[in-house]
Amino acid sequence: MTHNRQNLYEGMYVISATLSDDARHKALDKILAGIKNRSGEIKKVHEQGRKRLAYEIDGHREGYYYLIYFTAPTAAIGELWQEYHLNEDLIRFITLRTDKVMEKVEFKALVEQQ
Amino acid sequence: MMQQRRQKFNPEYPDSRSKKQKRCPFTAAGIKDIDYKDIDTLTKFITERGKILPRRITGVSAYHQKKLTAAIKQARMIALLPFVAEV
Repeated sequence: MTHNRQNLYEGMYVISATLSDDARHKALDKILAGIKNRSGEIKKVHEQGRKRLAYEIDGHREGYYYLIYFTAPTAAIGELWQEYHLNEDLIRFITLRTDKVMEKVEFKALVEQQ
Repeated sequence: MMQQRRQKFNPEYPDSRSKKQKRCPFTAAGIKDIDYKDIDTLTKFITERGKILPRRITGVSAYHQKKLTAAIKQARMIALLPFVAEV
C-alpha cells in the first residue's frame, strides 16, 4: 500500500560535458525513461547548461546540469539510485523530496543591510 | 557602582564596547526555505576556502543557519560548491 504512494521529487543530474549533443540527449532520455518505466511521471525538465564543477570528479572538470521534477512511487527511488550508479555518462546526481515544482529557477535576493 | 561605570565611559569612542546588533538577513528578506540551487546566496555564507561561516559573524538566526548548512552541503554534493577551494 505504502509502496504505491506517489511522491514529488526533484532530481539534479550532472551529465558528462565531453559527450556530443546527441549522446547527451540519449543519456537524458535514458534517465527520463528510467523514471517513466517505474510508473513515474515527468513534470518538468530544466536544462541548466554547461557549468564548471566546483571540484574534479573522475577526471571531469565540467558538467551539463539538468533539473528534473517528477513523481514516482517510493520503491522506485532505490531502484533508480542503483541504475544511476551504473550509468557512466552520469557523473553526479541528487534526488530530493519537494513540495512544489519550480516553474523558473530563480531566487529572491537578500536585502542589503547597512 | 553605576556611577563608577559611567565615569569609565570614554566619550571619544562612544560605541567601543557595545556590539552592533546583527540582523538575520534571511528573516529580513522574508525567506523561509533556503535552496541548494541558489548559489549566489550560498556563496555569501562561505569563506574563500569553502568553509561555512559561523552565525556569530553573519548574524543568521539559528533556524536559518540549520537550513543554510543543509543547503550548502547539498550543493557540495552536486559539485555546485567546493568542499575545499584552492586559494
